[in-house]
Amino acid sequence: MMATAWSLALRQLRRDIRLSEYIVVFCALVLAVAALTSVGFFANRVERAMVSQASTLLAADLVALANNPLPDEVADEAARRQISSAQLIEFPSVVLNGDGDTALVSVKAVSGDYPLRGELLLTDELYGSAREVKGPPASGRVWIDSRLPGTIPVEAGQTLSLGEISVEAEAFVSYEPDRAGDVFQMAPRVMMSSEDLERAGLLGEGSRARYRMLFAGDETAINGFADWLADKPEWNLRVQTPEEGRPAVRSALVNARRFLGLAAALAVLLSGAAVALAARQIAERDMDTSSLLRTFGASRALVLRIVAMRLMVLALLAGLVGSVLGYLAQFGLSAMLARWFATDLPQPSLLPLIGGFACSIIAMAGFCLPSVVRAADAPVVRVLRRDLPPNQASLKVLIGCGLLALTLLLVWLTRDLLVAVLLVLGVVTVFALLSGVSRGLVALASRPAGERWRRLLSGIKRRPGSVTLQIAAFGVGLLALLLLAIVRADVLNTWQRQIPPDAPNFFLVNIQPDEVDSVQSFFGERDISFRSLHPLVRGRLEQINDTPVAELDFEGKRNEWTVRRDFNLSFAADARDDNPIVDGQWWDPDTEEALLSLEHDFADELGVEIGDVLHFRVADALVAGRISNLRQVEWESFSANFFVVGTPAAFANSPASYITSVNVPDDHGGFVRELVSRFPAVTVLEVGSILERVTGIMNRAAAAVQYVFLFTVFAGILVLIAAVLASRRERFREAAILRTLGASRRYLRGTLGREFAVIGLLSGVLAATVAAVIGWIIVEYVMELSYQFNPWLWLVGVATGLICIWTAGMLVTRPVLDQSPLDVLRNQV
Amino acid sequence: MSVIEACKLQKRVQTTNGELEILRGVDMSVAAAEAVAIVGPSGSGKSTLLALLAGLDSASDGEVSLLGEPLHQLDEDARAAVRAGRVGFVFQSFQLLPGLTALENVMLPLELASRSEARELAAKQLDAVGLGDREHHLPAQLSGGEQQRVAIARAFVTAPQVLFADEPTGNLDQATGETIVELMFRLRSEQQCSLVLVTHDSALAARCDRAVTMNDGVLQ
Repeated sequence: MMATAWSLALRQLRRDIRLSEYIVVFCALVLAVAALTSVGFFANRVERAMVSQASTLLAADLVALANNPLPDEVADEAARRQISSAQLIEFPSVVLNGDGDTALVSVKAVSGDYPLRGELLLTDELYGSAREVKGPPASGRVWIDSRLPGTIPVEAGQTLSLGEISVEAEAFVSYEPDRAGDVFQMAPRVMMSSEDLERAGLLGEGSRARYRMLFAGDETAINGFADWLADKPEWNLRVQTPEEGRPAVRSALVNARRFLGLAAALAVLLSGAAVALAARQIAERDMDTSSLLRTFGASRALVLRIVAMRLMVLALLAGLVGSVLGYLAQFGLSAMLARWFATDLPQPSLLPLIGGFACSIIAMAGFCLPSVVRAADAPVVRVLRRDLPPNQASLKVLIGCGLLALTLLLVWLTRDLLVAVLLVLGVVTVFALLSGVSRGLVALASRPAGERWRRLLSGIKRRPGSVTLQIAAFGVGLLALLLLAIVRADVLNTWQRQIPPDAPNFFLVNIQPDEVDSVQSFFGERDISFRSLHPLVRGRLEQINDTPVAELDFEGKRNEWTVRRDFNLSFAADARDDNPIVDGQWWDPDTEEALLSLEHDFADELGVEIGDVLHFRVADALVAGRISNLRQVEWESFSANFFVVGTPAAFANSPASYITSVNVPDDHGGFVRELVSRFPAVTVLEVGSILERVTGIMNRAAAAVQYVFLFTVFAGILVLIAAVLASRRERFREAAILRTLGASRRYLRGTLGREFAVIGLLSGVLAATVAAVIGWIIVEYVMELSYQFNPWLWLVGVATGLICIWTAGMLVTRPVLDQSPLDVLRNQV
Repeated sequence: MSVIEACKLQKRVQTTNGELEILRGVDMSVAAAEAVAIVGPSGSGKSTLLALLAGLDSASDGEVSLLGEPLHQLDEDARAAVRAGRVGFVFQSFQLLPGLTALENVMLPLELASRSEARELAAKQLDAVGLGDREHHLPAQLSGGEQQRVAIARAFVTAPQVLFADEPTGNLDQATGETIVELMFRLRSEQQCSLVLVTHDSALAARCDRAVTMNDGVLQ
């Protein structure tokens, strides 16, 4: 019987696939799969490229950090796995120029092909044009920070003493990729070859050197290697990946991923709507077939099996065609993206293919199967009595299955349950709203109102159910278009506005307490705005409540490392506007108590809450403070921020320097030179270049998202056409009857035009409203930013609704006007 | 020996105006190879009776057996199994599957009854109704008379013991209708199957062994 079922299913499908409803389902699924896989392949490549871009801020794909030299085994294992590596050793030291002037510097001894990712830029003269280099300086030469001349007189080509050797200052370091996040490393950089290290005798006992090994290679090898490193806890290494490398970069990546997922999700959502629309017609047609098969002795199970087989074969076919199209389409996308990505995009993984087939099957199972299966269960006696009402699936079951399928697909796509649920809620709200309004209109049309209104609403009155469905479908399509065209831009702008154009481009650190007033006057004289000078105290966490940190068991290496490093602590009497308190209360400015305020995520990582006492070792003293509140910090703002801030009383006896950030227009280094000459001890860090890099990553992500959304726009347009097609058979019959009764083509065209115009108008208004609400929810609650409503949304929504739906409707129903009434009535198109 | 036996068959349905009694206790039997016509005005319950006798619907009350099987005791699937390969149907609206060719439509009951050589038997039967050259045509490519001939080929291809026909000429012009009736009665006579025929046409009813009249849910 299984062979019979297959034979019947395939035979039916071979012919049915030419019917408009099957074409709609097939095309919708192909489109969903093509969008999903092309977006999947594309997103996959973009994500991998972004990880690689983010890698440039780490100078590698993976970094292992330690306080001691890394075992040789690490480099050997990396080589065995065909992973390239480079070793860096960083430590503070002092250099002397020919005149005997000294400067505290941060030495970086480099080996191998450093940087493995990103670029190291040098200038031959101070602030001259940059050139890219790979690998360390030649033996006997060093590259110096462009800030060093601000500390001691030094020019390119001059000799410096470094430890026991003399080295030539060959060039100035203009951009060092992995320095991006280390804004608190205050001393100017001196980069040397690790070959000279031993000769220089710089690494004696007790030297505070930090060892880093950089690794780069293909993703599989890197992942495997990271796992291998994770299995060696005895080495006490901390492994850093690009994503966890820098909070600002990580945040940009997470946001970009959300947008890409959202774009694909909308394409799938629209296709689901098209499939659901066509499913009704398939169900109606199947009812007769099923009754007939059962009349000839087929069991219910056999009939259902045939139906399921037919639909699943169709879904698999669509999955195959869609995947091929999606794969081909991503080449076009990659070609377009070549302008934004300097490097080639990496090859995609095969995961989107699995997603494509799964999407096709889930969409078919969720949006089409329930109505068709229910119809297949129609009473057998329908073969004799065609007037019996169609066997329609319960609305609850249909909605339930559709929503389940949608939620599954969206969770998979967005990797974010909240976003998925919000999207599903958006769809439900649109349908509920549109159904309500449509019903209201039907009631209005039934009233003995003016003749003009009656004519305008006559189409709606004749088939309220179908019109409700159409408005809902159009509404979803329009909603997607509006989300893409306007809300997307609003959301992206909001996202990019996180880094304001006047974001600080310089960090000034190591300002001594007695210099605070003069630095402030220096800013005042030059009209440079700055928020405030924050005290900075270095400290290491030693104890939480009564338990030493060493005895605490932290979940995961990351937390453990977070706890064991040196912290940049601060203190303040007053609360900051840009650090809202999320739990507890800010202290009285005059308090004498030792209280602490923690960044709330950091508190989570430590596993502490309000009332807990933290003990820090600051210099040689222990400072204890009770946590009194938790703050929220916007790391993307590039302002000076701190995980831990205490009351002035808590750090009254701790040695502190001051830090601030300012935005100074580009003046070719004049500001830096002037500041450094007046305050030699103050270290100036230029964050403009870091900012440019991060903004660059965000811009590229935004461009990628726009291209992904282009596919979704096509999906939206297709749904509009599919929705009109879904009601075409009904319109054919109605037009044929009207024409038989003497209606002119002009009359029919007018009737259709008015109906589509009303549907377009309604869909536009409601879709715009819902789009605004969804945009607001995404921005306010998911991205935790502030959303501004855009009045253009409604204007564009109504205009697009009217124009698109009227045009699509009139184009698709043109055959209704052209076909002879006899043909229509005879063939029951 | 009876192939169909109905006893006190009743059919009631709920309508917006309350309960409607379509059949009010019908007794009827059809012997093997006997042809019985059910005649009567529109809405008298003829098609409902045919549906109950064929097991296409279930009665509200009463008993009915088809080919010795008590249909009133069986569920939908079991009733379908009774029909499979043993009962043929000819409908007023032909009821061909639009997506299948003429040959595939005729093969359908053979395949559902798991008969081997379905294609050969179906081709032979199409030949017997004079449509050997239309095997690969879709229903939409055939005239009304040709479609009904395909339906007759489909009804007889399993050599059924009972044939149910519901207004088989209702959708055809007189000349075509007469050809179809000739064909149907010829095949019935060759295969010696029982026939239950619902019709308005008294001439057609007269070709049966006997005719019963249905009026307001009662056989007279």
